[in-house]
Amino acid sequence: MDKIVYLISSLRWQDIVDIALVSYVLFRFYVLFRGTNVFRVLIGITILWFLQQIAVSLGLIVTSWVIQGIVALAAFIIIVIFRTEIRTVLQARNLKSIFWGVSSKTVITAIETVVQSVHEMADRKCGALIVIPGKEDLEEIIQRGIRWKGEISREMIESIFWPGNPAHDGAAIIQGNQITEVGTILPLSRRDDLPSNYGTRHRAALGLAEESDALVIAVSEERGDIVVAKDSGLKAVKQRRKLEQILQEHMGVASKKGRERRQEQFKVAAAAVFSIIFITSVWFSVSRGVDTLVAFDIPVEYTNRNPTMEIVKTSVNTVSLELGGSGALIKSMKPDQVQVRLDLSESKVGPNTFTITSENISLPPGVILKGVTPSVVDVDLDVLMTKELPVQVDWVGHLPDHFILANAIVEPERVQVIGGKRMLENMSTVYTVKVPLDNLELEGTITANLALYPASLKIAPGFKEKVTISYVTKLRNQ
Amino acid sequence: MRHHAFQRLFFIFIICVLLPFSASSQIDEERDLKGSIDSITLLHAVICEDIEGSTPQNPTTVFSIERRKAVCFTLFDAVTEKAVIYHHWFHRDRSSAKIKLIINPPRWSTYSSIQFRAEDIGPWRVEITDSEGRIFKVLRFSITD
Repeated sequence: MDKIVYLISSLRWQDIVDIALVSYVLFRFYVLFRGTNVFRVLIGITILWFLQQIAVSLGLIVTSWVIQGIVALAAFIIIVIFRTEIRTVLQARNLKSIFWGVSSKTVITAIETVVQSVHEMADRKCGALIVIPGKEDLEEIIQRGIRWKGEISREMIESIFWPGNPAHDGAAIIQGNQITEVGTILPLSRRDDLPSNYGTRHRAALGLAEESDALVIAVSEERGDIVVAKDSGLKAVKQRRKLEQILQEHMGVASKKGRERRQEQFKVAAAAVFSIIFITSVWFSVSRGVDTLVAFDIPVEYTNRNPTMEIVKTSVNTVSLELGGSGALIKSMKPDQVQVRLDLSESKVGPNTFTITSENISLPPGVILKGVTPSVVDVDLDVLMTKELPVQVDWVGHLPDHFILANAIVEPERVQVIGGKRMLENMSTVYTVKVPLDNLELEGTITANLALYPASLKIAPGFKEKVTISYVTKLRNQ
Repeated sequence: MRHHAFQRLFFIFIICVLLPFSASSQIDEERDLKGSIDSITLLHAVICEDIEGSTPQNPTTVFSIERRKAVCFTLFDAVTEKAVIYHHWFHRDRSSAKIKLIINPPRWSTYSSIQFRAEDIGPWRVEITDSEGRIFKVLRFSITD
């Protein structure tokens, strides 16, 4: 119990936002895809994932590999196979409905508009063909017409089917509260048992209904009657209420009153609660799971240094951080996600001592600092200056016994060096790297790099880090 | 540190060539001696392996540690009065020995030397200065293994 209280009390506001955001994304996913094949496959993948975790924990190596492969493949397949269904779900809704709301108010409004328009066109004997897709994609069944993307309204529908409109002969497709396409050509039914008074419009309505789960409304321009085609059947509809009911059933908002509506609301609420519980559990298992300790050697970064100052010496270049967290977090953590920064803005010339605290260390969320070694860092700062110093060759090795190095001239004789004032004040010579005598000829010229120590020293602009040495050897006692 | 450096003088063999002078009389006279760059001219200065008579032998800039010693030879001209000069030996930037030498009018040569130890390997320099620390010349050489 104490542990639960501790876990809850240790939550930061960022953690709560983290859980809430991901829970909401999961919940929206449910709202958008419920009832579709995508959702069912996703549930299957989730179950497989849990099975894989169990297989891993039981040490079933091959089983876990196989399930892991299936899950990875399934995630890919779901996007490829169900791309049209995913597109249909996303296209049928506007941005607001994707991110917010679960009510079917928009659909109901659209239904009312369609019913009203259809009846008015029937009264005026204006022919019309309206397609309301189901869950199946119609792309490969119908012949594309003109993209419309207009918000549904009575005037809009009636103007589309106005005989003077070039697109009035085709079918209009309505998805959600939008007329997405007009002038589309539907496949014709080949049935020969249709009543003789049914023309091409009715045959087209039936043709699409036979090949898909779409609902098609046909309005006859000769008799002004309304026929609904669905699931290989044609049904004449005279009453507004009946047409409204058929559309509601088709769009999944049918007669959700009383008990059914409460059941629907309960399902949505249950999904919301499940999303929160599920994500909270995942969050805790990831961030506060099995405690794993790891030690990282992290370089210390010195920030906000006064540009006129130079770091002459530091007691350490790296500190060892002992970090704790769940195994998953620690495993996925990379050293570059951890930083140790010391602020030098308040530091002075000379020795400065800093104690490394958690404020100096940035860690990925969920990772806890257990210890720092060493916790104290000494930083020696100095004011930058430029000093001109003579160059001297640092010879090593041997000349043959009977030879002496009679002369050696360094070019340039002097170079300017930039570095800490206290450091440079005590320096009177810049030496070259070690130059071996063993390979010298009687006389010649060689080049050598300058050896600057400590590394904070730099050669001033305009001077090279190499010098040329012209030498002459001669026989001893000559 | 400096005190420690001067302790090392114990290891340094100094030869001052002061053409025939008695050591006892010098001590009293040196108290008031001053050398000045204004009047004295350094005619020749060289690091060499040895001195024979008054002549430096085998001037060089590299000494094998096996040769055991290095000599700094200096020849001054236009010396108007008895004066003090110094041979200040440095191993890298660390002072190793500061050797006081007397020069006499009108022209005088003098030298100092050091004997090598294993830890003396590396670059050296000798600063030849007057009594006020003004530098006549800096000579550079290396002791190698």
